[in-house]
Amino acid sequence: MRITTGIGIAWRSMTRNRLRTFFMMAGVTIGICSLTILDSVGENTKREAMKRFKNMIGTFDTVIIRPGAGKTRGMVSLTNVPPTLKFEDAQAIAEEITEVKQVALLQNAFDIDVKYKDRNASPAIFGVSANWLDLRGDELASGYFISVEDTQSLARVAILGSNVVPELFPEGGPLGKTVRIGDVPFQVKGVLQSRGAGPGGGSLDDLILIPVTTASKRLFNRDFLTMLIVQLRDPEKSETAMAKISALLRQRHHIAASALDDFTMTSPRAVMAQVSQMASTLSTILKGIATIAMMIGGAVIMSLMLISVSERRKEIGLRRSVGASRQDILVQFILEAALISSFGGLTGIALGLGGTNVAARIQHLPPIFVLQALEWTAGLSVGLGLVFGIYPAWRATQVDPVKALRA
Amino acid sequence: MIEVARVGKTYKRGDGTPVAALKDISFRIEKGEFLTIRGPSGSGKSSMLNIMGCLDKPTCGTYRLHGEELSGYTDKQLSHVRAWKIGFVFQSFNLMPRTTALENVEIPMIYGPGHVDRKRAIAALERVGLGARAHHYGTELSGGEQQRVAIARALINDPPLILADEPTGNLDSAGGAEVMGILRQLHREGRTVVLVTHDDAVAAYAEREILFKDGALASDRKMAQFPVEAQ
Repeated sequence: MRITTGIGIAWRSMTRNRLRTFFMMAGVTIGICSLTILDSVGENTKREAMKRFKNMIGTFDTVIIRPGAGKTRGMVSLTNVPPTLKFEDAQAIAEEITEVKQVALLQNAFDIDVKYKDRNASPAIFGVSANWLDLRGDELASGYFISVEDTQSLARVAILGSNVVPELFPEGGPLGKTVRIGDVPFQVKGVLQSRGAGPGGGSLDDLILIPVTTASKRLFNRDFLTMLIVQLRDPEKSETAMAKISALLRQRHHIAASALDDFTMTSPRAVMAQVSQMASTLSTILKGIATIAMMIGGAVIMSLMLISVSERRKEIGLRRSVGASRQDILVQFILEAALISSFGGLTGIALGLGGTNVAARIQHLPPIFVLQALEWTAGLSVGLGLVFGIYPAWRATQVDPVKALRA
Repeated sequence: MIEVARVGKTYKRGDGTPVAALKDISFRIEKGEFLTIRGPSGSGKSSMLNIMGCLDKPTCGTYRLHGEELSGYTDKQLSHVRAWKIGFVFQSFNLMPRTTALENVEIPMIYGPGHVDRKRAIAALERVGLGARAHHYGTELSGGEQQRVAIARALINDPPLILADEPTGNLDSAGGAEVMGILRQLHREGRTVVLVTHDDAVAAYAEREILFKDGALASDRKMAQFPVEAQ
């Protein structure tokens, strides 16, 4: 029997019993469709998680130092800051440790009223050093950033986060205007570009940056810092640098050898690795679920094929009597299963791509189609028919034509 | 043409006890003969036909068709013999459901020549007088017409041997007469026709009758030549 003839027979058999064909296809379609969607959702979630952490952390050749022993891992807490990390610590790290390129400082406060004319806002107020922009990897939308002179002269200048502009200046043109931050007048010097969402989903744009010195002396009246961002000369040597920074801070803070650190250091690389790990786990779980769906699809094929074989005993007997060998019967039934599951698979992929679009829209993310995944999904759907079709096809070869034709 | 020598067939019942369906059967059939195999139900006549048609293998003894000893043949070799040498006609027609007469006739070409020749299939249907009904489904045809489709199917690969198991058993007398007329025509063309039947009217067409009883050959006799003439 030629393969084209075999496909012809399989096709006729499929069209002859459309309902059965439909349900067999549906089994595969559902499996492949969920695989396609879940695969893409997993990939999308992973990429988005990475992107959000990248948004929050900024550059990757940095180490973040916060006061207080490590209570939270990963996420940076900006509230309830212990008063242990001082301006002098930052200076010491920058000057004494050779691996360190520069140190950015942060002091912050929430719930401070900001006013422009009759408009109000209460963004986070970040007192930062002049190198903040550089280290965070942020960019200005317009104007200029805080300069070294600004920090030295305790200048009252402010850089607005992109969310603050429409709140205070709905008519636009904020540059050069004077806003009152906690009743202290600041001149708007620049506007930041939007940074998008952070890992918690909240906006990272609802803030105002001012010189850290101005914040400390004129606004908050505080001599301790919320966070230091230490940029390293060589990110590969972060282990050594972190050990040295740790030793320096312990010495400066007079911490006994047996006591715990009163600060926490986080390496963005380590955090990213962790996030990536988590996202991969999620991806694997989703793939697992999809695999179960595929198995169910396979079981549907197998059971309907078995029913089909027992219903078609007469046909099998007849074909055998007019010259079909066992092998011909085997090939016929396997081809039929493979053909049905390929069609089911193609439908599944098509629906899956549509579903991916919908899922992406629900996630508010651009849809991601992993081409490589589509390839192996297509292969899988043919394979599904082959694997789950083999046993029913073998059963078909075992039909005794004498008994089948007598009935 | 056919040489059956000391053939026995033993089945196992559900409880494992063996049942002898055929015991030590020997006979020869020459090319071009028209014979019936008769006997009460359970006498082994259908078992004999299945062995002759290579659908079943004898438990012991030898079966030769065209001088080929078939007992050692593989499934593939036997299938080849069925495709080219044997045309089956069944009591219950065994047309495929939801399939046209034409498609039914084409099936053996898939396993014989390997490709479907539609013109030949139509010619075969015309031979049995059903050229106009080629695209009708089995359910739209009368019993006699269905059996004629089955005969066209049996003939499509031009086999020298026609094996018919109660071909008129499910037909009325008119349908039966049509079918027998065609079988006699095949015989006159030189084909060997072996027919299993209960029906005396059908048996009257044959030149020779083999009688089975309890799995053994009870008698083998030549008949008077064609007592029933064409209408």
